[in-house]
Amino acid sequence: MKITRRLFVASSTAVVGLATAGLRPAMAQGQTIAIITPSHDNPFFKAEADGAAAKAKELGYDTMVLVHDDDPNKQSELFDSAIAAGVVAIILDNAGADASVSAVQKAKDAGIPSFLIDREITETGVAVSQIVSNNYQGAQLGAEKFVELMGEEGKYAELLGKESDTNAGIRSQGYHDVIDQYDLEMVAQQTANWSQTEAYSVMESMLQANPEIKGVISGNDTMAMGAWAALEAAGRTDVIVVGFDGSNDVRDSIQAGGIKATVLQPAYQQAQLAVEQANTYLKEGSTGLDEKQLMDCVLIDESNADKLETFALN
Amino acid sequence: MTTVTDKSRPSTGTNWLLLLLKARTFVALILVLAYFSFAAPNFLSAANAVLVSKHVAINAFLAIGMTFVIITGGIDLSVGSVVGLCGMVAGWLLLNGVDPGLGWSIQFNTFEIVLIVCCVGIFVGWMNGMLITRFGVAPFIATLGMLYVARGAALLSSGGRTFPNLNGNPDYGSASFPQIGAGTFLGLPIMIWMLIGVTLVATYIANRTPLGRHIYAVGGNERGAALSGVRVQRVKVFVYMFSGLMAALVGLIIASQLKAAHPATGEFFELNAIAAAVLGGTSMSGGRGRIIGTIVGAFVIGILSDGLIMMGVSSFWQMVIKGLVIIAAVVIDQAQSRIQARVALAQEAGMAK
Repeated sequence: MKITRRLFVASSTAVVGLATAGLRPAMAQGQTIAIITPSHDNPFFKAEADGAAAKAKELGYDTMVLVHDDDPNKQSELFDSAIAAGVVAIILDNAGADASVSAVQKAKDAGIPSFLIDREITETGVAVSQIVSNNYQGAQLGAEKFVELMGEEGKYAELLGKESDTNAGIRSQGYHDVIDQYDLEMVAQQTANWSQTEAYSVMESMLQANPEIKGVISGNDTMAMGAWAALEAAGRTDVIVVGFDGSNDVRDSIQAGGIKATVLQPAYQQAQLAVEQANTYLKEGSTGLDEKQLMDCVLIDESNADKLETFALN
Repeated sequence: MTTVTDKSRPSTGTNWLLLLLKARTFVALILVLAYFSFAAPNFLSAANAVLVSKHVAINAFLAIGMTFVIITGGIDLSVGSVVGLCGMVAGWLLLNGVDPGLGWSIQFNTFEIVLIVCCVGIFVGWMNGMLITRFGVAPFIATLGMLYVARGAALLSSGGRTFPNLNGNPDYGSASFPQIGAGTFLGLPIMIWMLIGVTLVATYIANRTPLGRHIYAVGGNERGAALSGVRVQRVKVFVYMFSGLMAALVGLIIASQLKAAHPATGEFFELNAIAAAVLGGTSMSGGRGRIIGTIVGAFVIGILSDGLIMMGVSSFWQMVIKGLVIIAAVVIDQAQSRIQARVALAQEAGMAK
């Protein structure tokens, strides 16, 4: 018993030691760009971080990749740390349009420019650039495809994103501005907070209450995947599902004849663009562009799904 | 086991070891400080020390409240949600005031808002205490229920949205609200002064007042305490109310720092608070724990996470490391109590001779 205990202590020490050895300081000398995004467990944000990091390395910067888990308080702490670490610029996919303003302002006061991607904040003049996907245009693309697939009629359900996120509202608006012109009837509308697990259970309940639905339009791909899993489990693979984001999971599902379509947000490219603008700003004192910039989205269906890879069309 | 056979030597050796184990949180603190000063760029600077303290303070407030609760043998899982709820109440009062439905509204100044929000936190704590003492609900369940109720209430208050631009209104005397989180006094942030104040009060309560002795007594042996005239129920209600008050302070600070109140604020804060208390040597079975230990525990966790962030370590690794540190703390805690028992045995044997 004594021996097992010693062995346990020794092995745990070894594990900790190995772990620490694996964590070498990522920053050497030179200029560092901080890249702050939501958690990488969503491949979309992973693609953003990877895209930004790759471009930053290419331009000769070191990177500091951080994750705020959609918690504005944690985001504010990360900003403190990035400022203290002396970064030269911050690339941010923020944790809430209202709650992120003070953090970005804090960086600005410390003389560090911020470049926002994917999501906007409610103030202008605080960040240098706010590059976001044209969610409204993308949603309209998705909705047009959805209407076409539905044969311009029938009952459908909508899965909404997190209500505190402005994009959730914009996408829903884009969907409805198209769909409501046709003879389609929305019988259920529920939030699943961008989450696959939540979408699964919400879809189950919606299907229970409205077995006659013919289609589901979803605010993002993770929820579309959750909904599709629930539909498959219920043997309702006839239901048309359309997502938003352009993830590899949904691409595979489209190719396998599951989910019908999605809308690509060029996350990888967008993050790279933000780093390029940061570079220009640092070298020339200005990006020469407007603060708010929109990037158009692209419809993905079975015709071009094979060209999609980690949020970029090749 | 050589303790009993060899009487003269081991006592010095084990005593030394015991001392080291007792001061383990301090040792851990010194170790993480030394490591990051060496490994993380710009870590060792006065500005960063203030910064880390600010981040630690959030957890430390909750951990102080949690320490009292755990010493009585309970647990308070609701604090994270209460943080969110109290932030939302503060946001609501700042933006909307209270509308009694008569066509006019009551607006509050900063001091009144702080007071009302603190009362909300204390009230939630009081309900926890009542559920536990009067209705006999297990603390884990009662506060778990409250976790959901408070989070739901926070989401309901705004329909899931954020209360933005909490800059206050000079006309109502609430323009000083952002100062709670951003203001400084004698070069230190106001929230650090608040933490120092709360720490002193809590230490005083724990060590110098009958109430403090009662808190330890209830956790050590509840029945024994009751038989010796301790009003167990009152003591328990007090610790949950105190914990609620701490959560209210944190809610105010975060809302003031972000100048926005977000209903999801404070998720998992309760777990960080429990971790800090345990790391500081508080026993989950009650009766043992010190405020200063908890503060040091909170600093160990805070420095660890801030240092790893500044080193640019992946957030997934950060979680693994944090978990390992907490487990290691409890393993060492167990080792300490074994050695302590051994020393006591050896002393008894020595006295008998």
